Amino acid sequence: MRRPLIALFTAVALLATAACGDSSDDNSAAPAASGKPDAVNAGVIAILDVAPIYLGKEKGFFSKRGIDLTLTTAQGGAAIVPAVLSGQYQFGFSNAVSLLLAKSQNAPLKVVCNGNNSTGVADDFAGLFVKPDSPIQSPKDLVGKTVAANTLKNIVDTSVRASVKKDGGDPSQVKFTELPFPEQVGALQAGRVDAIFVVEPFQQAAIAAGMRKIASSYVDAAPNLTVALYFTSAKLAGENPDLVKRFTEAMQESLAYADSHGDEVRDIIGTYTKIDPATRAKMTLPKWPADINRESVDALATAAVTDGLLTQKPDVAGLLP
Amino acid sequence: MVSVAARRPRVTGRRYRSVTLGALGLIGFGLVLEVAPRIGVVPIDFAPPTSQILVTLVEQLDQGSFWTALLRTLTTWASGLAIAVVAGAVIGVLLGSLPILRAATATTIEFLRPIPSVALIPLVIVLYGTTPRSTITLVVYAAFWQMLIQVMHGVADVDPVALDTARSFRLGPWAKVRYVVWPSALPYVMTGLRLAAAVALILTITGELVIGSPGLGKEIDTAQQSNEVRTVYALILVTGVLGVLINLVIRRGERALLSWHPANRAEKGAA
Repeated sequence: MRRPLIALFTAVALLATAACGDSSDDNSAAPAASGKPDAVNAGVIAILDVAPIYLGKEKGFFSKRGIDLTLTTAQGGAAIVPAVLSGQYQFGFSNAVSLLLAKSQNAPLKVVCNGNNSTGVADDFAGLFVKPDSPIQSPKDLVGKTVAANTLKNIVDTSVRASVKKDGGDPSQVKFTELPFPEQVGALQAGRVDAIFVVEPFQQAAIAAGMRKIASSYVDAAPNLTVALYFTSAKLAGENPDLVKRFTEAMQESLAYADSHGDEVRDIIGTYTKIDPATRAKMTLPKWPADINRESVDALATAAVTDGLLTQKPDVAGLLP
Repeated sequence: MVSVAARRPRVTGRRYRSVTLGALGLIGFGLVLEVAPRIGVVPIDFAPPTSQILVTLVEQLDQGSFWTALLRTLTTWASGLAIAVVAGAVIGVLLGSLPILRAATATTIEFLRPIPSVALIPLVIVLYGTTPRSTITLVVYAAFWQMLIQVMHGVADVDPVALDTARSFRLGPWAKVRYVVWPSALPYVMTGLRLAAAVALILTITGELVIGSPGLGKEIDTAQQSNEVRTVYALILVTGVLGVLINLVIRRGERALLSWHPANRAEKGAA
């Protein structure tokens, strides 16, 4: 009885999504025939990873290409993907594994540009932490232990398992429990979990609380891992390739600019988050190469199958531009 | 008359005492929250002392983004409440005055009313995305029932003698609603408004927090995602103050609008 009901709800939701898409596409994605800039909505998450798009907007990289960009923050890829598919946002930001999972369910998505990458060195913008007095010395000791992840069956699973595997442990023996980032340091201190995987600014909180970093899992997942990407709907990519091209160019200029202007990045982060200036100055920033590290996305896709997130490897080439 | 005059100072004294006691209780509560983290009852990193929260609150008052968020929250709240109150009043009067209609809708209403508004969040996200419209939909859904039920009861509670009198005076349906039903239902309407206003504020903040539509709720979420624990508490404090202020304003309005009502007249005479 439950399954048909769920199917019915899903069908209704999809129909509604499709209906919304039709109505909002008309006014928002129309080509700039009259010389007026295209009004573009992009859905992002209020984290430091998306600093380049805010910086690029401020620097006029989008407006000079005829794009009037509005940035809306959502709570995560789970909210952004449906909104991009329905046409409420023309572009969205999501981590690579979420996009691979969506692609494997045949969601009509198309990546348009790189998002952000790990630093590729031990000093990364995310890390695996344990208590200072924990018996866990390196990732292989996590076998049989519980790690907090902000979302289950996603990029954190894949990356932490990569750390365990690299260190010689059995990655399938690591347990994960879902905890939002803001609660993780407290949970670790209270001993409710054995390890946590946090990104900035919570990495600074973990360091300040005296927690011990045992790995930079994004670095272990693949060299210079592409952590997240900007994407659009296959519909928009097919109907308005010119807009997609201009957005991609503006985005690439923004990424290159952000990568070489760390101080401006730390300032702009203060405009869309509430991270205090002292933490902003200390945080480790991600890398923002203009080009997608295709091998790393492929490695994530392979790992997703190995770790059981997916039964079949998704069409990576079809997802990436 | 004499006895009323004699009682006056005592009642004023009682009111002073209740205000003083209320303030003392609040200060005591603040003190407990100040001391508890400092002596380590709760971790200071996640439960900052009152003084730090207040300092952060003052800093917030200095920022444009805070006032923008406050304005957006109030706009969402007021739009949702206005729609719910007007719809609730109109439909309530209709259902209350037409027993056939009431009987036909009673089951449906009793089925829809207990559905928690937050359960509609997945639906409104699909329909309207992370826009204020999503939150307003939740607010209307939650506040509408508060209003509707009160108005329906109010209309049903009209004195039958007054209705008969209206009939003997051959008042038309509109005049009957205007001069007999509405004034007599007004105390219920005001109660409905007060309940609806409080529920509307709860749903406004919930919607902003969970859906991410702009406003104080979203600011709380952003602060949490930025690990700014003190800002989180400062903003929560603001939502609390907002609730108190809204309640005060509506109670004032209630007293002014219903000054003729026996319940208020008695209180006025005493005060």
